[in-house]
Amino acid sequence: MIRPRYFFSETFTSLKRNFFMAFTAITTVAITLFIVGFFAVIVYDIQGIINSIKSDVELAVYLEDNISEELKKYIEQEVISWKETDAVRYISKEQALERFKKQNEGSDILKEIEGNPLPASFEITLKNPEKIDQVALRFYDKDGNCIEGVDEVIYGRKYVNTLFSITAIIGTIAFLMVIALLLAAVVLIFNTIRLSIYDRRKEVEVMKLVGATNWFVRIPFLFEGFFEGFAGSVVSIILLYFICNFLLIRGERLIVDTMRIKELAVVGSGNFLSYTYIGVVVLGGLIGLLSSAIALRRYVKV
Amino acid sequence: MIELKNISKIYEDNTVALKNINLVIRKGEFLFLVGPSGSGKSTFIKLLIKEIDESNGNIYIAGRNICNLKSSRIPQLRRNIGCVFQDYKLLPNKTVFENVAFALEVIGKPDYEIKIQVPQALKLVGLYSKSNSYPYQLSAGEQQRVSIARAFVNRPPILLADEPTGNLDPGTSEGIMKILSRINLIGTTVLMATHDRNIVNSMRRRVVELEEGEIVRDQKRGVYGD
Ligand SMILES: Nc1ncnc2c1ncn2[C@@H]1O[C@H](COP(=O)(O)OP(=O)(O)OP(=O)(O)O)[C@@H](O)[C@H]1O
Ligand SMILES: [Mg+2]
Repeated sequence: MIRPRYFFSETFTSLKRNFFMAFTAITTVAITLFIVGFFAVIVYDIQGIINSIKSDVELAVYLEDNISEELKKYIEQEVISWKETDAVRYISKEQALERFKKQNEGSDILKEIEGNPLPASFEITLKNPEKIDQVALRFYDKDGNCIEGVDEVIYGRKYVNTLFSITAIIGTIAFLMVIALLLAAVVLIFNTIRLSIYDRRKEVEVMKLVGATNWFVRIPFLFEGFFEGFAGSVVSIILLYFICNFLLIRGERLIVDTMRIKELAVVGSGNFLSYTYIGVVVLGGLIGLLSSAIALRRYVKV
Repeated sequence: MIELKNISKIYEDNTVALKNINLVIRKGEFLFLVGPSGSGKSTFIKLLIKEIDESNGNIYIAGRNICNLKSSRIPQLRRNIGCVFQDYKLLPNKTVFENVAFALEVIGKPDYEIKIQVPQALKLVGLYSKSNSYPYQLSAGEQQRVSIARAFVNRPPILLADEPTGNLDPGTSEGIMKILSRINLIGTTVLMATHDRNIVNSMRRRVVELEEGEIVRDQKRGVYGD
């Protein structure tokens, strides 16, 4: 026979009694899971940007709008003659705009575009992408300016490398922080449960002596721990929701636009945010259950 | 109903509390366990509800050897043995009613049964009018009776009572003995540990005497001491 009302009232009496402890534990869980979720989103995002760059052209040579046909031809011939070159594709201003419109279908950005601000370009893929730095340098003169007719050379590898090291650093910091915070959360929940076991040691003793099953004794404590983990995760989801929707997605759109990365970063699209929310709740509940299970093992004899 | 074979209990600090106890208690019997302080009476009772484990020997309750009982079966055992503890073990933050109801709640009894059985148990010990009092508002004798009500509310076939009249005046003790007799009359096997000479002498029931952990006397319609 299950007595949900009994379990609920036991749990909430105990939460009330140890309000400060429970509050601290819940806050810590919330902060921990927020950081977990936030970094998960960031890392996933940067990974997405990296991928979109990699699947992009290796090297994009943006041409000045007023470049002459001859110069264009000359550059193309030149590039084809290089032994590193695998393929060269000419993208006219019109094609560039067309492609941009396709990629940003339905987005507000399109309304803001007047005329055709996009440059024409050569997209160069290389047989051996590691030579990309050398190849790119050929579009610059000794002073570091672009050669005549070329406005800008963008090559993914440079971004990719920086992005890789950024993600690695963010990942490491996040990982260490998360480990420390997870430990703190477990310790804090463990402590509240320990306190409530102590508070109710007489009840527990009597319960066992009159024949309550071990599960019956444990469930209120497990529930209490679970509740703390769960409440913390809900708070962190609310934080994540606001941070992602009002800061991250806007910020990313900005980065994506200025970097001319074709695919908008992942946060705004796809289901990753929802998965993060689900993951955070599951993790929160597990932390709570685990912490109280440890406390029960130590302080309630079977 | 209850059978002890060669039961010994040696505590962790090597105190020998019980030595080679052999005893059979029949169904429906009323038995006094007497002996001086430290002779092993509480130890005996704790062994029967597996609050502690024996060092040696076997205990059979209703034909079942409880010494090799899995820990998951212990709750079932305890539901069939009501126990009145020497120190009452009432919960101070619960009322009389809640204390008695607690014993039913935690073994998963539904509310409607609790509503019927708790008042019955409280009427049996004459404390129905104090249902809403807290333990600290009760006299020692009344607390003892609440403890009996809690032990019996589940109608177990066996009732163990560890010094239920300890520190009570003779009149109050007599009242408690009346309650235990009534419980015994409806078929419950009752085992009561005591060193209350007058009570044992007035009841004329089976008396088992312990001394330094050994049975030194087992008398059908006994008295306390010589
Ligand atoms: N947990 C324990 N650890 C070690 N020794 C114990 C423990 N409990 C009881 N003892 C010892 O075992 C012996 C029997 O104790 P027990 O409590 O069974 O006596 P008792 O007959 O109930 O005494 P009383 O009439 O005072 O309640 C005593 O010598 C006591 O000191
Ligand atoms: Mg005793």
